[in-house]
Formats: sequence, C-alpha cells, structure tokens
Amino acid sequence: MGFGQFLSSPEVKLRIVTYRDAFQDAAKVESLFGEEYERLSATILLDAKDITKLSIKENDTLILKNKSGSIVVKAVESGYEQPHPGTAYMVNSPWSNVLVPEEAGGTGVPAFKDFEVVASNSKGAKVTGIKDIV
Amino acid sequence: MDNDYYVCTGCALLCDDIGVEIEGGKLTKVHTACRKGVAFIKGCRHPLDSTVKGERTDVDLAVKEAASILKNAENPLIFGHANSSSGAQKIAIGIARRTNGYIDDTSSFCHGPTVEAIIESKLKTCTLDDVRHKADVLIFWGSDPANSHPRHMSRYSYFPRGKERQRGWEEDRTAITIDVRKSDTAEICGKNGLYQIPVKGDTEFMEALTSALSGKVPKTSYDFDKKRLLELAGILKKAKFGVIFAGLGMIYSLEDFEPLYRFMDKLNSVSSFHLIPMAGHYNMRGFNENLFKETGYINRVKFNGAEVLHGPEYSVVEALRKKEVDAALVIGADPLSSLPRSIVRYLEEIPLITIDPCQTLTSTKADVTIPCALVGVESGGAAIRMDGVEVELKPMVETDRLSDEDVMKRIMEEL
Ligand code: SF4
Repeated sequence: MGFGQFLSSPEVKLRIVTYRDAFQDAAKVESLFGEEYERLSATILLDAKDITKLSIKENDTLILKNKSGSIVVKAVESGYEQPHPGTAYMVNSPWSNVLVPEEAGGTGVPAFKDFEVVASNSKGAKVTGIKDIV
Repeated sequence: MDNDYYVCTGCALLCDDIGVEIEGGKLTKVHTACRKGVAFIKGCRHPLDSTVKGERTDVDLAVKEAASILKNAENPLIFGHANSSSGAQKIAIGIARRTNGYIDDTSSFCHGPTVEAIIESKLKTCTLDDVRHKADVLIFWGSDPANSHPRHMSRYSYFPRGKERQRGWEEDRTAITIDVRKSDTAEICGKNGLYQIPVKGDTEFMEALTSALSGKVPKTSYDFDKKRLLELAGILKKAKFGVIFAGLGMIYSLEDFEPLYRFMDKLNSVSSFHLIPMAGHYNMRGFNENLFKETGYINRVKFNGAEVLHGPEYSVVEALRKKEVDAALVIGADPLSSLPRSIVRYLEEIPLITIDPCQTLTSTKADVTIPCALVGVESGGAAIRMDGVEVELKPMVETDRLSDEDVMKRIMEEL
C-alpha cells in the first residue's frame, strides 16, 4: 500500500455528456462481452484542468458516482480545442447507463446525455467490467 | 463474388449496395459496408442458445415456455422491435393485443417525438434519395453520422454527386454542424462549419436563428456571436433544398417541439427545408409506422380489451420504474445495455423472455431465450429506412435458425 492511500482524494463534480462512437459500436456488435468493447466504453474524456483538479495522470482510473450507482473508468484528456472544465464526455454504453438517473419526470425519457457525477481518484482500482454491471 | 447486392441492417441507413463472397454456404467477405456494417453482417461471437431457466433445450420447448409465461401474466410487456423485421413487429403487436399487454420500442426514449411529428405531417421531410440528388445545405444538429451512420455522408448527404448536384461537395453543398462539442462530423464540416453551443442551449439557439431569419437581432443568454448567427441565417435563406438531420443531441435538449415547429415554419417561409430523424436501429421507423397503422400511436401503447391506452405512463421506462408489468418479452433490443441500470433491474424480478440472434446483457438474465436468424443476413423480410422508405431484405446465407417472424408466429400459435 503506497503513501497515497492515506491522502484524501479531491472530489470533482462533473456534468457528463454522452456521445456515439463507430468503433465502440462495431466492437459491441462483435462481442458485447469482449475486452475491446470494455476498453472503448469505460473511458471518460476530461478537460486538462479537471485532470489537474483531480490530482491524476492521464490513463489513471477514476471512480464516478451518483445516486444511481458507481463505476470505475479510465481518464483520458479530451484534446478538444474549446476548453470544457466541469463537463466530461463518455460514449453511450452500459457503463454510462449505470449513472443515468432513474427519475425521468414522468416523461419516459431518462437524461441519457446530460447528468451529474462526482469523480475522484480510484487509487489504482480496476476498470468496472461488464459482468460487474449486470 | 455473388453478383447480387444485399442490404446491411447495421443501422437505419439500410445501405442496399452490399456485395458479399460466400464459400461453402459461409460468408467469407463483405464488400462496401462500413466497419460497423461488416461486423454486423459477419455476426457476433456469442450466438444465443435456446434455453429455459439456464438449461439448453429445443426451440419447441422454449416457445411453449414463452407462451406460458405470457398467458399467465396479467400485464406483460412486449418490448424492443427496433432490430426486428416488419413481419415480426406486426406479430408482436398481435401478441400484445391478445395478452392485453404493454407494447413499446426504443423510440420511446429516443426519436419517437420526431417520427410522430413526421407521420402526423407536422414536420416537412424528404427521402435520402432527394438529399443525394438535390440537397445543397445540410445541418447536422445534435447528430454525428460519422459515428452513428458511417456511410451517411458518403452515400447520401455530403460527398455524392446527384442529379442536381453534379459539381462535387466543395462547390455544391454546404455542411454545418450544431453541437455541444467538436464531433468527427464537425471536423468534416470544416473550419467554419461548427456552431458550438452549450449543453441544453439548443432551444435558445433555435429561437435566435428564427429571429435572425425574421430580420431581428438574434440574442442568446450565452452570448453566441451575433455575426455568426446572422451569417448562418443567410446561408439557410439561400438554400434551394435544405435538410436538417436531427440527432438525439437536439431532441433531448428540447423541452417541447414548439420552438422546432416555429423554426421550421420560418425557414420554409424564406427557403425550403426538410427534417430527417437520425434513427439508429435499422427498423425503429418500421415499428412506429406499423403500430401507428394498427392503433393510431407510434409507441407507448397498452391494450385493454378493445381499448387502446397510450401515454408516457405506458412507456417502457415508466412501466418498469413503477413495476406495472409482471412479465416481459424482449425482441430486437437489449434494454439491460441501453436503459439506466436502476430501471432495468426490475426485469430480473419478473419472468423474462429474450429473442435475439446473439447473447445480450438482457439474455443473461432471461428465464427463456430463443435464438433467431440475423435479419438481412440469414433471413429476409422488410424494414423502413430512417427516411420512411420501405426496403426489402433478402438473406445472404442459409441457416437452420428460425427467422424472427417465425419465432413470433410460433409463440402466437401457442397462445
Ligand atoms: S452505414 Fe449503416 S447500413 Fe450502411 S454499411 Fe454502415 S452500418 Fe450498414
């Protein structure tokens, strides 16, 4: 156990926006239970400032949690020209769906593309696997 | 190579120019399709087995067990359909009617409102063939076809030469993306092609554009550059044949469709604009049209004797959230993948039937699983493309698995 285990990890509130990815989609079609689908799904794209705030390095894993659930995903810098601190992007998948709030205001349409989570350093925890989700 | 062309059912673009090579009855090569289409046509690595309570069994027994679950239920849910042939969808509607069940599809939580508005002629639309031959201004609003429908831009919207678009995309077409981030589609639209707006900023942007088209100063609370907005209004006004490809980014952001109707009305008073919903699954539109013909509603229906009930309370999301259904048959969808985990957990508490060519997250929790042929590859039928055009599907290879329509027919017979 390293010294870092005893330090409290900063928690950062993030607004998650989901999107589609053709390669992740193809990986799903080939094998929903495969490593490639997990690799392309369990990732969050962050603004450089949020990476600093979270005291993590790129490719570290993060815990994302809210009232709906919690998952561990890999953190990657988005590389978008326009800065987006406070907003992070995830490809739409069973991983993002763990965090989508159940409450749909009676409309029948959950907020798939816009919800909040609290992110913190997972201190080396493994990315959540598809089997852990179901 | 087989001289015939086939249709890819990998997405609602239903590309009908697919070439395949077959050796010894097996598919060896797929030509023309995109990466996703090739993966789809080649089939999944984990085909579904016929099982009852986790034990392998023959299809006859699984069908009988599925029928018995539906017969014993008071309020069964018949859900999915977006990846089913039209024939299977029609029987699914019959099963819901026979069992006084709920019936809903994935459009319930995605493109339903747009398809409904088009079917009810509240939004002007056109076909993808019209787009290829005529469209000069393309707006990808909250949509990213480079990822969701990989051949959209090359086959229909941006790059092809059409009857009235013979000079190539650089001169003949203007492509614009309105989105919250620089998507791959936005990259293709070029340096000034992206209008980046804040999350949930769509309604205001639409209203500001409507003002600009009316000659007023466009304003947004997020101070979007007025000059750029006026420039965009100028491009829209000059369009001879404009098309908005509406994605979920736009649909989810609108509280209601009134701003969209006002915007389309204004646009059509100064130029000519159409809207096509970027439906994802290959036959979601088919289900909407089939249910509409039967009931007057495109989704979210509950049969109650001769009565047809409709509304958000009959949507898959609310029915599961409120635990109103007591059994479920899922065909052509994977709700455990595509819906919030907290909502679909309830499916594990009730008898669950899954019909699919492949193992899915939903099938891992099902009491009964029934494999079916992959539509468009192993079985034929019909489907309706995202623009409302019916497309005939024919099988590329033979299989001993039943078609999705035959599985549904067998269940109906047992009822
Ligand atoms: S764009 Fe869609 S229909 Fe066309 S080949 Fe790709 S997945 Fe298939």
